[in-house]
Amino acid sequence: MEVTMALFITKRLLMALATVLVVAVLAFLLVHAMPGSPGAVSLGAGASQQAIDEVNQRMGWNDPLPAQFFTWLGSAVQGDLGVSLIDGRSVSADLASRLPVTASLAAGATVLSAVLGIGLGVTAAVRGGVVDRIIGGVAGMAVALPAFWIGIIFVYLLAVQSSVFPATGYVPFESSPQDWALSLALPVITLAVGGGAFIARQTRASMLEALQQEHIRTLRATATPTWKILYVHALRYASLPIVAGIALQFIQLFGGSVIAEQLFAMPGLGQAVQNSVSTHDAPSVQGVVVIATVVVVAVNLVLELATKFLDPKLRAS
Amino acid sequence: MIPNVAPAPADQAQPTTAADLRKTRRQGAPKKFTGSKLFGSFGSIAGVAWLAVLVAASLTAPLWLPFKTEDQDFTAVLSGPTAAHWLGTDELGRDLLSRIFASAAGTLGTSIITVIVAVGLGTLLAMLAAAAGERVENAVSRVTEIMMSLPGTVIILAVIGAVGTNIPMIMGILGVLISAGIYRVMLGQAKSLQSQLYVDAAKVDGVSTAGISLRHVLPGLTNTIVVQAALIFAVGMLIQAGLAFIGFGPPIPQPSWGGMIQGASQHVYDAPWMMVPTGAGLALTVLSANAIGNALGKAPNATASHLPSAAARRQRAKAVATIASAAPAPVTQDGVAKGTLSVRNLSVGVDSTGAGSGVRLVTDVSFDVEQGTVLGLVGESGCGKTMTALSLLGLLPSGVSVTGGQILWNGRNLAATTDKAMETVRGRDIALISQEPMRALDPMFTVGYQLTATIRRLRGMGKAEAREEARNLLEKVGIVDAARILKTYPHQISGGMAQRVAIALALAGQPKLLVADEPTTALDVTVQAEILSLLRSLVTDTGMSVVMVTHDLGVVADICDQVAVMYAGQVVENGRTDSILDNPRHPYTLALLAADPHANHANDMPERLATIQGQVPQPKDWPTGCRFAARCQFAGSACLEPVPLLPSGAGEGLVRCVKADQLAVEGMDWLATDVPAARALEITPTQNPRSLQTIVEKDLA
Repeated sequence: MEVTMALFITKRLLMALATVLVVAVLAFLLVHAMPGSPGAVSLGAGASQQAIDEVNQRMGWNDPLPAQFFTWLGSAVQGDLGVSLIDGRSVSADLASRLPVTASLAAGATVLSAVLGIGLGVTAAVRGGVVDRIIGGVAGMAVALPAFWIGIIFVYLLAVQSSVFPATGYVPFESSPQDWALSLALPVITLAVGGGAFIARQTRASMLEALQQEHIRTLRATATPTWKILYVHALRYASLPIVAGIALQFIQLFGGSVIAEQLFAMPGLGQAVQNSVSTHDAPSVQGVVVIATVVVVAVNLVLELATKFLDPKLRAS
Repeated sequence: MIPNVAPAPADQAQPTTAADLRKTRRQGAPKKFTGSKLFGSFGSIAGVAWLAVLVAASLTAPLWLPFKTEDQDFTAVLSGPTAAHWLGTDELGRDLLSRIFASAAGTLGTSIITVIVAVGLGTLLAMLAAAAGERVENAVSRVTEIMMSLPGTVIILAVIGAVGTNIPMIMGILGVLISAGIYRVMLGQAKSLQSQLYVDAAKVDGVSTAGISLRHVLPGLTNTIVVQAALIFAVGMLIQAGLAFIGFGPPIPQPSWGGMIQGASQHVYDAPWMMVPTGAGLALTVLSANAIGNALGKAPNATASHLPSAAARRQRAKAVATIASAAPAPVTQDGVAKGTLSVRNLSVGVDSTGAGSGVRLVTDVSFDVEQGTVLGLVGESGCGKTMTALSLLGLLPSGVSVTGGQILWNGRNLAATTDKAMETVRGRDIALISQEPMRALDPMFTVGYQLTATIRRLRGMGKAEAREEARNLLEKVGIVDAARILKTYPHQISGGMAQRVAIALALAGQPKLLVADEPTTALDVTVQAEILSLLRSLVTDTGMSVVMVTHDLGVVADICDQVAVMYAGQVVENGRTDSILDNPRHPYTLALLAADPHANHANDMPERLATIQGQVPQPKDWPTGCRFAARCQFAGSACLEPVPLLPSGAGEGLVRCVKADQLAVEGMDWLATDVPAARALEITPTQNPRSLQTIVEKDLA
């Protein structure tokens, strides 16, 4: 069993690596299709053609594409994603400073979504009747509301009308944990509305499916108390799809942070990709795409391992 | 912001693993699209209405809008709703109403591009994978898996970097990314359609793969296609608005919903009203599309829950109270022997709320079980045997409950006992074993955990003691390597082994009565015999009684002391096993015996085995007269009247047939041929049995 587990993990790691590589190639090609050569972008309008050519030559822009890609890949695996065309800063350093912002945002929103979603979903499935209909209605509404709109409403209510939270900005954890938490509050709540609603629906459906299983009847026939049937047996059965839903939410919220970072002026990865796409900063775009892919692939890998751990059928085989 | 998986309708769990996808294969063919569901709920009607108004208003916008989108009214900058500007204005004094409606068509139209690409590509890939066999399926699934593990938002932004804000193009690429999710939703259904018998038939007839996909698979997918299209439409609008919000919308000054909300976010301090109209418009539109998708995607009737929700339990408690007050107080005779069960005039029906309300499933059923004896409940599927059996433990599925009569256990009326109080009866007094042992055990816990937890609960034992008792029980039910089995999960043992475990679980509380619902049906023939002999020895050893639900007369002959033959929710004949098997009085019993290859002795085996024409009628179609008349070879006009259960003359047996005496005297046999014209009497069946024709048509539909 140890051996098969090691084999499984190796296989999955290779698959993950392949995914990242495919995306890296894709990103490389996309970036090359961007209008403007690196020289033109970095020197800005009004630069002489000769100066532009010189920069392009130095950056290897005229080399064959495969050679350029492998040069980039060679430094990328050593942690060097090149320098920004706009301000000449190291892309790796810039993204490394931005990753904690987006990660705290996505992780915070995922945790809040999971707590809200599992709580409401289980309640809806267990209580049924009016409670179920109310939760279902609210969740249906919440998934349809655009996050950026909810965000503005929250800013209006919680920052403008009553200044409970700061409206914008981000305070690093190192400078003040308390202000860090406060600065994350509004964006996290904003993202958790849709995320929580999604997980609530997933949880409700999974719980109802679990309660339709025949072994629930066996448990009742052996006088298992209702709370134990619900919160030990049914929830355990439903845990697989719920965990999958949470992982999916993390990935989506990681992407959704682009909007939250724009709305709340937070210096995260989303802001970086938005800026670099607008300014045609090729190395930065490529860097963000690769970093985001690594994160998403890693989360999927963790999900798969978690699923294997949670499902006795998979664990044994 | 970009969903990696297509959203499933709210009330359907999403398949999360490849195993789940495989599971769908066993289900029947998915339903075709019908528009009627669209107008089945308030939400979807409102949704259709709003979208229709929006499209109509947007397309005719130049004709009626009070302002042009770029008209600036500097006298009313950042104004709220006024007579001139019904929904207010923005920072340049442009009319919000005009801008919202003028930009609606563009938003909706480009979202449709995503829908067409995503659903079209996803469906095509699913049909291809389903038709072309496992290797293609694996390849396509692998590619879509990779697509689904991409950070969609970032990739779309990178695409924007390369192609600029070319919205139709971006929405198309978004569709490609989403198609992987659609593929996963569609694949299970496409495979299930592909495995239908009529598809096999078409293949034999030489219809090409493409022909099968178009003619047989695609029509079956239409409902899912429409559902997914509606949901993806909503997703497309949200993403498009999101992109415009972060500055990748149509070029300025062209209005877009996302761009307008972005503008409003700049004025949340000085003009909070501005965010309301556009945001509400977008939210309403997304809500409409979702409502339509959910209404169409609603599963018609989910399997009933085995643990009703709190709300349903409250309703049932009320029903129990009604029964308790209606039924005469149980006569607690001191003379009632321990371990006797008397069911008196039991009726079970569908609850008044929900589908099929008020339909009776079991009517007026009575029988007795003495301590240490085995009663067989016999009949075809759909005769109410299982409902009768489950009602003994108060474990009827959600939406079904006892509507009348008494279930007297040691003189106590269980039909009038609350669910809470039943917990002291279940397991300790009355235990259950069910048809499919694999599904009766919790797949998430080991056999050992399930057994010891039950023993500790029912017998109040400590952990170590319970563990020891669990091993004893497993040995008692004939498992030799009990220690090993305790450590396994249910999926790791065979069906026969699982049924032994399930029996051990049922014995954990040392019950006096065992309710066994077809305990051998799902097992191999050799294992069946072993399980039966185990049950027989348990009855002799422990002195418990058994209610055995079965359709197998061999099982009845083997193990039952008493038999109650059920047909269409009624007991039609009961009595001692030997007298009923040797001397059946009801035509249905006669027919069951004639149709059972094992009940006929080898020397007088008929050339043709008898059959019973037609099917058990649906509960809603039960006639007022004899319920078997429509299928009976001996039916006459007298059978149109309700038939009472009367002494059959054989011992204490009872029979529900007006012609029982006549048949006994004439010694008629159930014939193996079709009903002879002379005997086919002027009975018009209330419902024609489904002919082969209709079955075929239904399958093709």
